[in-house]
Amino acid sequence: MPDLRNNRDLIAGLLFIVLGGLAVVLARDYPFGTTMRMGPGYFPTVLGVILFLFGLYVLARGLRTGEKLKGEWGWKPLVLITLSIVLFGVLLDRAGMIPASVATLFVAAAAGREFRFKEVLILAVVMTAFSVAVFLWGLKLPYPLIGSHY
Amino acid sequence: MQKFSIARPLALVLLLGAAQPALAQAPAAGSGPAYPSKPVRFIIGFPPGGTNDIVGRIVAPKLSEFLGQQVVVENRGGANTAIASEMFVRMPPDGYTIMMNAPGHATNPSLLKLNFDSIGDFAFVTLLAESQNLLVVHPSLPVRSVKELIALSKKRPGDINYGSSGVGTTVHLSAELFQYMTGIKWVHIPYKGGGPGLVALLSGEVSLYFGNVPTVIRQAREGKLRAIAATGAKRTPAAPDIPTVAEAGVPGYEVSTFYGMSAPAKTPRAVIDRLHGDTVRALNAPEVRERLQGLGADPVGNTPEQYTAFMKNEIAKWAKVIKAAGIKGE
Amino acid sequence: MDLLSNLALGFGVAFSLQNLVYCFAGVALGTLIGVLPGVGPLVTIAMLFPITFHLPAIPAIIMLAGIFYGAQYGGSTTSILVNLPGETASAVTCIDGYQMARQGRAGPALATAALASFFAGCVGTLLIALAGPTLGEWALKFGAAEYTSLMLMALVASAVMTQGDALKGLAMVVVGLLIGVVGVDVNSGMARYSFGIPELVDGVGFTVVAVGLFAVAEIVLNLESREPREVYSGRVTGLMPTARDIKDAAWPTLRGTAVGACFGILPGTGPALSSFATYMLEKKIARDPSRFGRGAIEGVAAPEAANNASAQTAFIPMLTLGIPATATMALMLAALTLQGIATGPQVMLEKPDLFWGLIASMWIGNCLLVVLNLPLVGLWVKLLTVPYRWLFPSIILFCSIGNYSVNNNPFDVYLVALIGVLGYVLVKLECEPAPLLLGYVLGPLLEENLRRAMLIARGDPTVFFTRPISAVFMIATVLIFVIMVLPAARAMRRRT
Repeated sequence: MPDLRNNRDLIAGLLFIVLGGLAVVLARDYPFGTTMRMGPGYFPTVLGVILFLFGLYVLARGLRTGEKLKGEWGWKPLVLITLSIVLFGVLLDRAGMIPASVATLFVAAAAGREFRFKEVLILAVVMTAFSVAVFLWGLKLPYPLIGSHY
Repeated sequence: MQKFSIARPLALVLLLGAAQPALAQAPAAGSGPAYPSKPVRFIIGFPPGGTNDIVGRIVAPKLSEFLGQQVVVENRGGANTAIASEMFVRMPPDGYTIMMNAPGHATNPSLLKLNFDSIGDFAFVTLLAESQNLLVVHPSLPVRSVKELIALSKKRPGDINYGSSGVGTTVHLSAELFQYMTGIKWVHIPYKGGGPGLVALLSGEVSLYFGNVPTVIRQAREGKLRAIAATGAKRTPAAPDIPTVAEAGVPGYEVSTFYGMSAPAKTPRAVIDRLHGDTVRALNAPEVRERLQGLGADPVGNTPEQYTAFMKNEIAKWAKVIKAAGIKGE
Repeated sequence: MDLLSNLALGFGVAFSLQNLVYCFAGVALGTLIGVLPGVGPLVTIAMLFPITFHLPAIPAIIMLAGIFYGAQYGGSTTSILVNLPGETASAVTCIDGYQMARQGRAGPALATAALASFFAGCVGTLLIALAGPTLGEWALKFGAAEYTSLMLMALVASAVMTQGDALKGLAMVVVGLLIGVVGVDVNSGMARYSFGIPELVDGVGFTVVAVGLFAVAEIVLNLESREPREVYSGRVTGLMPTARDIKDAAWPTLRGTAVGACFGILPGTGPALSSFATYMLEKKIARDPSRFGRGAIEGVAAPEAANNASAQTAFIPMLTLGIPATATMALMLAALTLQGIATGPQVMLEKPDLFWGLIASMWIGNCLLVVLNLPLVGLWVKLLTVPYRWLFPSIILFCSIGNYSVNNNPFDVYLVALIGVLGYVLVKLECEPAPLLLGYVLGPLLEENLRRAMLIARGDPTVFFTRPISAVFMIATVLIFVIMVLPAARAMRRRT
């Protein structure tokens, strides 16, 4: 049997199976109705089933051909980029635009291959100033510069 | 190449952010600078573009003039004002955050699981304006009055389609109330918003609609639609020749879309009075009146007590209708 | 001739200094916000709304309109440069436009987008002038059954969207369809897949999906390997399209304009659908479909033409029927109403200076936009020479701000992060994002109209065939299905 690790279609198939299955399970609470009078649960359930079936097929294909993922999973950039975006959402309301922008820029930059502190600092200052100019001053979006929105 | 460390800069930034609450001022009621000493946030629970939003944007500039501080409109759409309300009730009751109420406020308690008290968490300031809808039919439906409509509906139960701008909207609930009070049965065809709903009516896909006055009145005058009755307690000034539903055969029927202003509960009375006074002055300004009426909204400007009583009444009324119609939110 | 004298009147009005200034202000502002993700014409028009009180009607509406169609020009810029759709309708431009940029052909891509948009804008304006009311009335013939068959046709054609693995592409369409289900179901009012989170009750926003799926996933992809991946080719071949480019882009532009104009008139289809539709059409009829997704200029010209044409013709229902199809149109309608102008078929007769002035200024606005955007191409291309390590954090920042500004709610930002992760995983697994986006756009429309059509027909499915327009689409659907399945069936028969 071909190697199961990093088997592209195996993982993809699993993903579809999980998503499809979840869709069906969650849609159980919605009235199904009939084909002529569809309820809110009809469409999502049908879709979930189709996705589940697709998933099975892709999984089987993956087991058969064993084609691998190209390259590696990029854990570091994935985590850091995600974190940088989340950080913005967390900080904007609580700390204001400037801390949020600076934090996001720093964490995002850390996801890159090189990180030169001085360079990133300048970037953070410039981009934050630019964003404040465009969004807060130009478009008059009502976000505080520093300080809680609450 | 320098080994990266995000710890130091991150700590810097978080420290900066954490220091802010200590630096920010929270003026205690009565002490500190007089109200208002900084801009006021006017939260609107809909995304930009809806009538609610437009009403807010008409009143805000004038109110800014009288308050002497900028009133800044901020949209926080979602779940028919529920999302905005959730965030709003947690705001400090210092008069620097106010909110626009909409009929959604009165219907949400019966449709959604809310984690705020729709009456207790709010200090109602005033009813800004009210508008009503017109019961209009497509020319293909052979009725010219409310009485004829009821008669026809009784002959063809479950046959006549009516459109709405969505489940739980005033357009929908107006129709539900009508059916509830007259014992007839129509078929509800919901649409995503007022635009598609009206298009459906114009094309004849649905025969009946409780439409927003300025839009439908024009079509009615041109003969594309037939306006049968108005949903308010009094005839609408835009179409004084059209009887109200109550006059025309369903006594006691009244539906109005309201636009109101409120502050978080425990806002000091002095601040509420100031807001109330200036808002009423803004509503009395001729250009504000004119613009509101252009939208089909009649300026009101009643007292906080009147508005509170009105809101309690609305919540109760719609609770009954929603229950009878079997509408479920989530 | 009547038309000429009307146009003369219109241009007379549009060329007044005040109107020209406001036209320019509108289109310039529109371009700017088109470039920014999340911030769209709706927010800007809402913000400027009170200003229109102090302006007379004509310059006010000229400016607001300029913002609206100007945004379509700007939206394609970031789509091409960094795979970030600035406007919903520009999402499709990402597919080939970004690839062109990576090959050092950002200049031709941007220029083609501008020129195709210009052509489409002019045609759209012409359509309003010549046939506005007629087209408006025609749009009324579209009911739930017609929309259903149209969406079904698009769904069947969606297999065309996939470049690689057809099976996974279809699975992606289904995933997109499911994401589209999240939110309130129009027909029953029930909130689906909302997990008790109020923000999900209104569904997952298009901006969130497009930005997360395209822009964020792409950034992570570019950063994942330890060796530097050359994001943009150092070899920039030139700023303007070559003669070959123009020849290749000509017919797609025309077809895109036609498709866009048709979709724009139909209220309730949304801006992205027309760009998807022409993309699928172009890919299907191309001599070498495999070029699509790798930087085919047709993949830029057709969608851009489509989204501009539909932006222009979207004014038709508002002007001629007085019905606002979208929230942005509702704002413009309100601005007009508050100026005392009632739109409807009468507006052409009662206020010819407004109607024709607006049309003339739309044409002028399109000219201004081309004049504005073409010289900027050089500047934008320069931007790509900025080291990627400076570029990508800035993109992340703009994505975050932009998405937050949609509803002033941090939840949308968190959702972008989540979708970004999903997008990266999918791309890594060689599942394409574009079919997902299409499914996401189509799904709600298809389901909503299907159930509505059945509700109105009281459960009688033959309605899709008894209504003429719907019947046409259904037959087309069957034909498309056959065309797509036939080669595969033939291949299978050959093997046995």
